Amino acid sequence: MFLFLNFRKILTIVVLAVIASYSAAATVQDSKGEFTIDYEPQRIVVLEFSFVDALAAVGISPVGIADDKDKDRILPQVRDIIGDWTSVGTRSQPSLEVIASLNPDLIIADISRHEAVYEDLQKIAPTLILPSRRETYEENLQAAVVVGTAIGKQEELEARLAQHRQKMNEYAAQLPGHARVQFGVARDDLLSLHSENAYAGGVLKTLGFENPKVSEEGAAYVSTGLEQLLAINADYLIFGYYSNPSIVHKWHAEPLWSLLKAVQDDHVYEVNANTWSRARGMMAAETMAQDLVRIFAEH
Amino acid sequence: MRATLGLPVLLLLVALLIVASFMLGAVPIPLAEILKIGQADFAHSFTLYQYRLPRAVLAVLVGGMMALAGALVQGVIRNPLASPDVLGISNGAGLLAVCFITLFPQSSAGAIPLVALLGSAMAALLLWLLVGRYPSETRLALTGVALAAFFAACIDFVMLLNPQEINTALLWLTGSLWGRNWVQVQLLLPWLLLVPVALLLVKPLNLLALDEQNARSMGVNVPLVRFAALALAVCLSGAGVAVCGPVGFLGLIAPHVTRRLLGSRHQLLLPGSFLVGAILLLFADLVGRVIDPPIEIPAGIVTAILGAPYFLWLLFRIK
Repeated sequence: MFLFLNFRKILTIVVLAVIASYSAAATVQDSKGEFTIDYEPQRIVVLEFSFVDALAAVGISPVGIADDKDKDRILPQVRDIIGDWTSVGTRSQPSLEVIASLNPDLIIADISRHEAVYEDLQKIAPTLILPSRRETYEENLQAAVVVGTAIGKQEELEARLAQHRQKMNEYAAQLPGHARVQFGVARDDLLSLHSENAYAGGVLKTLGFENPKVSEEGAAYVSTGLEQLLAINADYLIFGYYSNPSIVHKWHAEPLWSLLKAVQDDHVYEVNANTWSRARGMMAAETMAQDLVRIFAEH
Repeated sequence: MRATLGLPVLLLLVALLIVASFMLGAVPIPLAEILKIGQADFAHSFTLYQYRLPRAVLAVLVGGMMALAGALVQGVIRNPLASPDVLGISNGAGLLAVCFITLFPQSSAGAIPLVALLGSAMAALLLWLLVGRYPSETRLALTGVALAAFFAACIDFVMLLNPQEINTALLWLTGSLWGRNWVQVQLLLPWLLLVPVALLLVKPLNLLALDEQNARSMGVNVPLVRFAALALAVCLSGAGVAVCGPVGFLGLIAPHVTRRLLGSRHQLLLPGSFLVGAILLLFADLVGRVIDPPIEIPAGIVTAILGAPYFLWLLFRIK
C-alpha cells in the first residue's frame, strides 16, 4: 500500500515535470494559421487595446502599446495592473522602428489593421495576429484565451475567464433585463449605433438586455439619423461621445427628439466612449456592466 | 539656378535627404552608427534595411514618377494647372481601390496595388473614349476635370455607405509610405523603364510647347506624341498611386518648381521634375515621421499642407 502510493506520487511528479517542460511551448491558431512559440515571452508589444486587457487579466505587462500616444485610452484599472509602457504610435499606423527598438520577443497584432505589415512585424519578432477591431464579445473572449495560451498562461486566463463569466452573471442579476437598450457612439456629424453583432451589443445581451434591430443585414455598426433613431425607439439610449458637442447634442433642440421613448421616460445616459467602444476586453465588459448597474440603480 | 548646375545640385539634395531619412525618425540613429553598416555589431539592421532604406527608395521612385507624369501631362496639355490628378487618373485608382476595400474587407491588403493600377487604366481609357481621336487641349483638360470630380463624388458615396471600412480606405487614400517595404520596390522597378522612354519625347514636347500648328509644320506627329505622353503619364502615376495611394499635389507642384529652377526646356524639365518629385516626397515622409513621434503622419497629408497654398498662389498669379 505504502509502495503503491509512493509509485503514484512519483508518477504524478514525472507527469507534472513533463508537462512543465512543455508548458513554455505553445501552439495556437491565429488568423494566419498555426502560431508556435517555444518560450515564455518577456517583452511583448501590443498593437490593439483588447490584447492589453487580455494581458492585464493574467498580470502581464507589455513593454510597448500602440496607444495612439494617449495613455488615457487604456482603462485605469488595466493601467494599474500593467504599470508603464512605451508608446509605439497609433493603432492604425504603429511605428515599426520604435517596435524594433524595444527588442520584443512577441508582437500581438490585429488582423484588420495590421495585415499589411504582418511580414515586417515578423522580421522584428514572432507575431500573433488575431481579430480585434470589429470583433464580437465572444470573439474577444476567444482571442483572449489564444493570447493567454501563447504567453504560457492558459490556466490563469481560463480561470480569469470563468471568474469573468460569473461576475457578468452577478451583474445581470442586478439588472432588470428584457429592456431594449441601444448603445451608440456620437461624433460631430455621425451617430453610429452598435448592434447585437458589435462588441457592446454582445455585452448588453450577456447582461440580459435586448438589442433593438437596427439593420436588416445584421451589420455591427449602423450610422443613423434622428428619424431612424425614432423608428428604432429603444427603451434606453446610452451614448458615448467622441466629440462634445456631438450630433446628438444638436438633436436635443429638434421636435423629433422629444418624441423618443427614451427621452420621454428620461432614459438617455452618457457613458465613456473609450471604455464602451475602443477598449474591448474582460475588464472593459465588467466596467460597462458596472456602468449599467449604476445607471439602473439611480433610476 | 544655372541650368548646367541644376541637375547635379538636385541630385545632391536627394542624396542629402536620403542620409537624413536614415538618421532621423522616432529612434534617431547617429551618423557614426550608420557608418557601421555591414559590421557585426550593427544594432539597427531592421530599422535601416527593412524600414528606412526601402521607404527612402520608394519615396525617390514614387515621387519621381508622379512628378515626371505631371511634367508630361503639363507638356501636352500646355496648361500649368494640369496633372494626372486633374485628369482623373488618381481618383479613378482611388475609386476602384475604395470599392474593393469596402466590398471585400476581409481580402488581403496586398491586392490593393493591382486594383488601383486597374483603376488608373480604366479612368484613362474612359477619358480616351470621351475625348475622341483628335483631342484638343481644352477638351482633354475639361473632360479630365469632370471625370476627376465624378470619381471623387463616387468615392465619397461609397465611403458614406460603409462608414466602418473608412479607416482602411482613408489610410490608403491619403497617400502614405507607412507599411511599404522591398515588396513594393520590386513592384515598381519594371515601371522605372518608362523613365528613359519618356526622355525620348523631349524634342517633340519642346516643339509642341511653341504651338500645335508650328509643331505640326516641323514634322511632329501631334496626336501620336500626345497619346504617347499621356499613356506614359498614366502608367507612371498609376504605378505610383498603386503603391502609395494618391499623394496629393505632387504631380502638380514638382514640374512647376522645376520650371522655375531650370526653365521650360524638356531635356532639363523632365529629369529635373523627377528629382524634385523625389525630393518633395522624401521631405514629406521625413517631416511626417519626425514631427510628433512615434505618431506617423502620412506623407500625403504633408504634401497637401505644402501643396494647397502653392496651388492657390499659382491660381492668383495666373489670373
